Amino acid sequence: MAAMSLLLRAAAAWGARRAASGGAAGGARLPWLTGTARLPGTGAPVRHSSSHGKRMFIIKATSFYDTRFLNLLRFYIFLTGIPVALFITYVNIFIGEAELAEIPEGYTPEYWEYYKHPISRWIARYLLDSPEKDYEKEMALLDVEAKKTELRLMELEARRLMRHRGDGPWYHYETPDKNLIDNSMKSTPDN
Amino acid sequence: MPEDRDWEAYKVPPTRTPVSESTSSVPNPITFIQTAFNYVVDAPVTFVREWIERQQAKNKFYYYHQKFRRVPDLSECLEGDYLCFFEAEAQWRRDRMVDQEIVEIVRDRLGACKQREGPNQFQNCAKEVEQLAQVTKAYQDRYGDLGYHGNARTCLMKQKHRMMEERKAQANTSK
Repeated sequence: MAAMSLLLRAAAAWGARRAASGGAAGGARLPWLTGTARLPGTGAPVRHSSSHGKRMFIIKATSFYDTRFLNLLRFYIFLTGIPVALFITYVNIFIGEAELAEIPEGYTPEYWEYYKHPISRWIARYLLDSPEKDYEKEMALLDVEAKKTELRLMELEARRLMRHRGDGPWYHYETPDKNLIDNSMKSTPDN
Repeated sequence: MPEDRDWEAYKVPPTRTPVSESTSSVPNPITFIQTAFNYVVDAPVTFVREWIERQQAKNKFYYYHQKFRRVPDLSECLEGDYLCFFEAEAQWRRDRMVDQEIVEIVRDRLGACKQREGPNQFQNCAKEVEQLAQVTKAYQDRYGDLGYHGNARTCLMKQKHRMMEERKAQANTSK
């Protein structure tokens, strides 16, 4: 990294010297050579310079888009970030965290009183369901699925038995009554 | 704000450095550094911290550690009783977390003992070393190689295999 910066600095100095010699020669150079920005900070000397030193017109790649992006990024992050940070600071300083205490006799704490930070308590109290309710919701889901599996297994068993025994309403194909069969073509042996 | 460690848990016995009687006329520069630190850093920080604590003491509220009721174990659940499985699984996970904390506490005790004793640790910390060995062995026996997808059922099967091995070993020794 240090070697790289040394290399860049040497290249910038070489470029500046070349540009200086080019400018001193009177600008009879090809436009595409002088116009390109080879390195950040390559300068071309500018005439009508004021007293102190040689004024350089620093030719470098545009940083307009980069600075615009970073400005916008900072703006939109701080737009909500600063109020949130202030709010959290206010809560931490003036409301403070809860203290750990033993559960008093005969008192069942509410489900949000098991959290320490006041914002966590608020979220647990007003936004989330109590863990007991979540537990019961999960168990209700499991119960429904368990009943479904039970019914499906029973259906498969019933189907198997009905197919096997043939005495149930399933696997029961309606056939026409045997009294409707016309046996007249079988009454004589030769036809 | 993150809470400080419990300074009372592993209390180091007070140091027995003797008070030095300095015979030189040059005052100890450390006293100046101490007073400077006191005025520049310690007093403002303490003042701010106490002001904050006064603001927080106006409305105190508490939090508690939840106590869970014991529910029937996985070995007491009937087959196909998925609700019982779910509750036993939740209880097993809570118990595993408690056991992990126990192992961590015993490990911290050994670390504190080593820090306290310094060069004497190999002789004076034998009890803590023994306790840690026992606790880790017990943890490894119970929850050891269940893997990431270990649950109450795999743990119960591991226990069953352990009991079978024990019974086999007993039968072999009694033969």
